[in-house]
Amino acid sequence: MKNKLIAFTFILILGIGLTLTFTLPDKKMSTLERRKLTTKEVLESGFVENLDDYMSEQIPFRNTFLAFGSAFERYILQNEESNDSYIKDGYIIEKNYHLDEVSIDNFIKKLNFIADKVTPNGDVFYSVIPDKSYYLNADSSLKLDYDDIETKLRSSIEGEYIDILECFELSDYYKTDIHLKQEAYFKILDKFLDRVGIKEEDIKYEKKTLDDFYGASFSKVPFFKPESIEYFSNDILENVHVSHLESGKREVYDFKANTEMDLYNIFLSGPSALIEIENEGAYSDRELIIFRDSFASSMTPLLTPYFKKITLIDLRYISLDYVLKNVDFQNKDILFLYSTLIINKSSILKVNVP
Amino acid sequence: MVFSSISFLFFFLPILFLIYFTIPQKYRNITLLIFSLIFYFFGEKWYVLLLIFSSTINYLIGKKIGKKKDKKFLLIGIIFDLGLLIYFKYTNFFIENFNGLLNLSIPSLKVILPLGISFFTFQNLSYLVDVYRKDVECERNLLDYITYIALFPQLVAGPIVRYRDIKDELLERKETIDNFAEGVMRFTIGLGKKVLIADTLYNSYTTIMASDLSLISYWLIALMFTFQIYYDFSGYSDMAIGLGKMFGFNFKENFNYPLVASSITDFWRRWHMSLSGFFKDYVYIPLGGNRCGKIRNIFNIFIVWSLTGFWHGASWNFLFWGLYFFLFLILEKFILKKHFKVGILSRVYTFLIVTISFVIFSVTDIGALGTFLKGLMGIGTELLNDETLYYLKNNIVIILISFIGMGPWLKKLIEKIKKGKLEKCLSVLEYIYFISILIMAISVLISSTFNPFIYFRF
Repeated sequence: MKNKLIAFTFILILGIGLTLTFTLPDKKMSTLERRKLTTKEVLESGFVENLDDYMSEQIPFRNTFLAFGSAFERYILQNEESNDSYIKDGYIIEKNYHLDEVSIDNFIKKLNFIADKVTPNGDVFYSVIPDKSYYLNADSSLKLDYDDIETKLRSSIEGEYIDILECFELSDYYKTDIHLKQEAYFKILDKFLDRVGIKEEDIKYEKKTLDDFYGASFSKVPFFKPESIEYFSNDILENVHVSHLESGKREVYDFKANTEMDLYNIFLSGPSALIEIENEGAYSDRELIIFRDSFASSMTPLLTPYFKKITLIDLRYISLDYVLKNVDFQNKDILFLYSTLIINKSSILKVNVP
Repeated sequence: MVFSSISFLFFFLPILFLIYFTIPQKYRNITLLIFSLIFYFFGEKWYVLLLIFSSTINYLIGKKIGKKKDKKFLLIGIIFDLGLLIYFKYTNFFIENFNGLLNLSIPSLKVILPLGISFFTFQNLSYLVDVYRKDVECERNLLDYITYIALFPQLVAGPIVRYRDIKDELLERKETIDNFAEGVMRFTIGLGKKVLIADTLYNSYTTIMASDLSLISYWLIALMFTFQIYYDFSGYSDMAIGLGKMFGFNFKENFNYPLVASSITDFWRRWHMSLSGFFKDYVYIPLGGNRCGKIRNIFNIFIVWSLTGFWHGASWNFLFWGLYFFLFLILEKFILKKHFKVGILSRVYTFLIVTISFVIFSVTDIGALGTFLKGLMGIGTELLNDETLYYLKNNIVIILISFIGMGPWLKKLIEKIKKGKLEKCLSVLEYIYFISILIMAISVLISSTFNPFIYFRF
């Protein structure tokens, strides 16, 4: 009886896998893994070469299998770390704990070079958003040496440093994503506004919630629960003029962006080289230019009511040469806002320092 | 195609089951042959023609030898088989070394190593020698002979199945539900060893190797090398034996808990038994074995272990690996034998020697090997650091599982329970165990990208 059951189960599992893979319609995208999946067309270009890829990606219950695979490592093998990420205190942390000294030196050179080019007197200010591991209750071997980064930046960058490291805590971050939640930035607004001499106002926002957020690290631990994204909107933000270099007019919270791949893209439409936000009804006539990475996408809406114009420059997608030719830096406040993830991988910034 | 792939599990195997078990008995060999060639084609494309060509030549030479025991034909066969193996596997190694030694610049050949050539060459050789020795009659049917060589369960990574061992089953075999289920269990255990243990170890040690290494982490990696190679290769053999059983074949065992061996001599009686058996029967004994003087005996052992090392790959480290075992075998045979007592100490000694051997086996770059061996001795490294502690903590369970799985303890326990009153309970547990391993292995396979078998490169 036992043998019959084993034989039957084996054939059944294999048979169901085969039948459903080839009869169910192909899934074109995996929200969980944030990528396109291989579909049947690929078999036409090479059945033998592509069969395994196709079947691995279209097999029924794929997401459940992915969750089992991850749970096996985390819970049965008790290995906190796999797929270049680890779990601590209920948060998925991308492994990034080897400090790249060369990268930090290059980051400093790049920042100083930009500052010299855009302001005659180097009057810029800058801040560092820490990776969530900074707030972890973990041993130091799992963290970047933040003290070292901070010391180096403070001693070498010509500009005013805005220290925000102690303003956040772990719960300000998404569990399955690298980013801070938008509401966390309320804690640091005054630091930036003080620097440019603007008083923080008591602005009313409506808090809105979007469910089913699968963060960038979710696929590495797919048995986590999807999270929610909360964003803060009001009439001011709904009426500002947002313009992207690549795609023209957009919204602050953009539901036409590629949110199927990444719900975080609702913040200023996701990755973008150059964005201008104009606000006629701003609390000041000041204009702010932010050299930034993706963290600034969710912070900028909260700064928008205070500035007549904010220009966001992401040097991962556009070269400094283009920026210098096309952006006016005269009489602007200039902020460099980068996360430690970028500082530790600064080759990604398209700045050629002679 | 590899056994531990989604396309093998959910495409190749179910279609083969469907056809094989619904057609009349007389068409089953041809079905197995066609599917075996498809299996090989998926991995090696048109090298499948080389496989057919090589098998056909050996079949024809075998027939000649069968008709007339003529050493000339045997020699032609051996030259042909070894010629193919040397051409595909060793030519570039020799060219590189000649170039280095004599300051020449002979260009390398643009050849790739056909999958499993070391295995099917040895099967062909064993067949010719056995026919010559009249240990077995030559095969009369070409398709049956190619089926024997190309039989997919053992084609690309062994075990090295001898024709005489499956001749009868090629002609007539009985596929039963019990055999099938036994095969499924064995296959699943092998899949688990490979996917859940060996691949996990591989992923872990590649991460650790990129960290700040300490003396302890060097030993941790060495331990992981050992377990990974064992679970990878013995897992493959389990899958091969299991698949064979599903289709009515009974392949001989290839491993017998080698990591609990009590000496290096004992280790080689338990590790890759089909290969050591081959070298014993077709090289060592024909050279005179131990029925000759001491010096000649040492020479014979030297030849066998040089060849064993070299068989594993065209690289100096494999040759060193073989010679490393030669030294310990000689030491045991002529010096330690008198003082040897089987016990914990002898097993620890063996495990230690074997662990170091797998460092030589795994680190193919001679410079890197030197650095690693220095690391194992603590030269230029600290004893322990935070990263090592972190990795130790993260890998302690897989290491423990590997230790538990390396001995026959669980098997003995199950056998004991089977004799007792808890047999029914055991059946339920066995079923749960089977389902869990299968589902977990499939899950890990889907979520991972790495799974080549180590022994494929041989």
